[in-house]
Amino acid sequence: MNKRAGIGFYIFLVIFVFLVMFPFIWVFLTSIKPVGEIFTSFRWFTTNPTLDSYDAALTNRPLMRYMLNSFVVSSVTTVLSVGCAAFAAYAVTRLPIKGKGLFLGVVLAASMFPQVAVISPIFNIVTELGLRNSYTGLVIPYMTISLPLSIWILSTFFQKIPFELEESAKLDGASPFQTFRKIILPLATPGIFTTAILVFIAAWNEYLFALTINSDDEWRTVPVGISMYQSEYSVPWGDISAATVIVTIPIVVLVLIFQRRIVSGLTSGSVKE
Amino acid sequence: MKKFHFSEKQLGYLMILPSIILVVLVTLWPVAQSFYNSLFDYRLNDPTRSERMLSANMDLERYVDNYFYIDGQLDNLEGSAVGDDIATIKQARETIEGFHSELASDSEINAKMEQIDEMLMNFEPVSDTDLKYSKLDNDFAEDYRAALISISEDLQEMAATTDNDELAQNYEQASSLLEATSTNILESNFIGFSNYVKYFKDSRMWQSLANTMIFTIASVAVELVLGLAIALLINRAFSGRGIVRASVLIPWAIPTAVAAMMWGFLYDGQTGIVAHYFNEWNLIPDSSWLLSTSTGGMFSIIFADVWKTTPYMALLLLAGLQTIPNSLYEASDVDGANKFQQFFKITLPLLKSAILVALLFRTLDAFRVFDLIYVLTGGGPANATESISIYAYITLFSQQNFGEGSVLSVIVFLSVALISFIYVRLIGSDLFAGRTK
Repeated sequence: MNKRAGIGFYIFLVIFVFLVMFPFIWVFLTSIKPVGEIFTSFRWFTTNPTLDSYDAALTNRPLMRYMLNSFVVSSVTTVLSVGCAAFAAYAVTRLPIKGKGLFLGVVLAASMFPQVAVISPIFNIVTELGLRNSYTGLVIPYMTISLPLSIWILSTFFQKIPFELEESAKLDGASPFQTFRKIILPLATPGIFTTAILVFIAAWNEYLFALTINSDDEWRTVPVGISMYQSEYSVPWGDISAATVIVTIPIVVLVLIFQRRIVSGLTSGSVKE
Repeated sequence: MKKFHFSEKQLGYLMILPSIILVVLVTLWPVAQSFYNSLFDYRLNDPTRSERMLSANMDLERYVDNYFYIDGQLDNLEGSAVGDDIATIKQARETIEGFHSELASDSEINAKMEQIDEMLMNFEPVSDTDLKYSKLDNDFAEDYRAALISISEDLQEMAATTDNDELAQNYEQASSLLEATSTNILESNFIGFSNYVKYFKDSRMWQSLANTMIFTIASVAVELVLGLAIALLINRAFSGRGIVRASVLIPWAIPTAVAAMMWGFLYDGQTGIVAHYFNEWNLIPDSSWLLSTSTGGMFSIIFADVWKTTPYMALLLLAGLQTIPNSLYEASDVDGANKFQQFFKITLPLLKSAILVALLFRTLDAFRVFDLIYVLTGGGPANATESISIYAYITLFSQQNFGEGSVLSVIVFLSVALISFIYVRLIGSDLFAGRTK
């Protein structure tokens, strides 16, 4: 559809973007208000902007430690999960193995499993292995959560790579693994990159496992850490809004840089081409 | 020397192996375990039920320790008791000795007890569970336990009837020792489907299931309609696509827990701007309505979820819309079809599979909802927004009741399986199309 966009359309767009972004705008405006003003008025703009809330957010709780934990766990998960998934996707799309349909079916089914149905046995396993409050304890479940998604998206990307290239490589005497490493991987780099971003975001956002397995404050990830800002008796909205702004910035940067890739990753597999 | 190469087939199996191991170990096996756990009265915070036991067991460490004192105490009582009590105590002593020697007649158990005895003498802890616990015959365990309890009660009675304070105290002491010993005999905590029966009658379970369904149906329906409307509107050429795309992606990309904290602030009865404006515009009865009433709580979580996931829905549907060839619309224009006819006869039928796939993913996600509710309302007020996942989590980890919590986990699992099954039947083989050849 090549409808031309008129002025009414642009007004609609501005309102739409404003409504979607409103929570962020308001939280940002709150984060630079003096704490007293947050509780007394609904004025949008403060006349005395201050960074006190940021200072408090960083000193009252180890927010930077949470960010570090999230970063390490998400990065390691991304590398391992995309690695495993690239192997599996190549085998499923290109190699003559039996039971591909069954394998993909099980993987897809596994992605639908509710996390609450696996959390207690995983908690027992992780406790027995002494992996509570560690990075490894989170990376293992996260890899499994993200694996189905990765295999699914990567096999869509691999499918699009022309077969001719591999066949000529084969004729030139390349082994199957060489074909994978030298032909498929370089060609699939954009797809792998897209998958990696989605896995990273999924691992960064995970809550249930992080809450259960890493219960020490020192090992908490961002989502769990931030939900601990509120206590039973007081809700420090100034700290919370400042902390929210701080943890949202990396995501905003990631989205701004990679938005095209994210969209292509999200929509691959849901649309027949 | 020629380098060794795998054949294509071998390489293929080798390449899917890591994924298979992970999926089996961290997804399939745990689900099986959850189901197995749900058949036991299994509680982490109760030492007599903290293991899953198909048959009766003896906590040998504590038994050996207790038994060491039993003989001495009963002997002492026999010496100081008066009248008929002497005979009763003698009888009791013989009974216990009889049971104990029957227990020790098993050479394996006897060896274990001797080893533990030695460790206890040296004040060493017994941490090896194989050594600490020993399986018992169910009938023997029940008889021994019943005997210990009945003797303990007899002693209690003697303590109440005697006038001698010191003797009464000794009776009491022996009685509580025997009672403690009886708890060292652990009965099997396999209870079959009793946990399921319990939850079948549990109104909180039904309420949480209903809450989950209300949340799922309402949020997914609103997201579908809004998402489709947005996708149709922005499916055209305009400048500033990047900004629109980024602004719809950011809510999707931030952690749900962070979004929940933000909305908690916006909904707050005192400081929340959304509550404030909604109240000023007379949309809600008063500004604390959003988080302190059950309808308000449910509305709040649905509204926050719609805000967070409608963009995602719109993106999926937009991608679907862009695959519909323009020529179809041009041809129908020539035939004189109006916009409604075009929407219902061209757009919707061709978008069907994209819609179903988007609905499948969204329905499953919404049904499993945890973080949003856990952080925003905690399931309150008065469990009005408690989803089945939250109920399961609270039972598992706040009450440490892994047996009953697993029942709720299994219920979530079965519901999700049912939903997937229905959708996969509707979508059919399209889902796999083009991936296996």
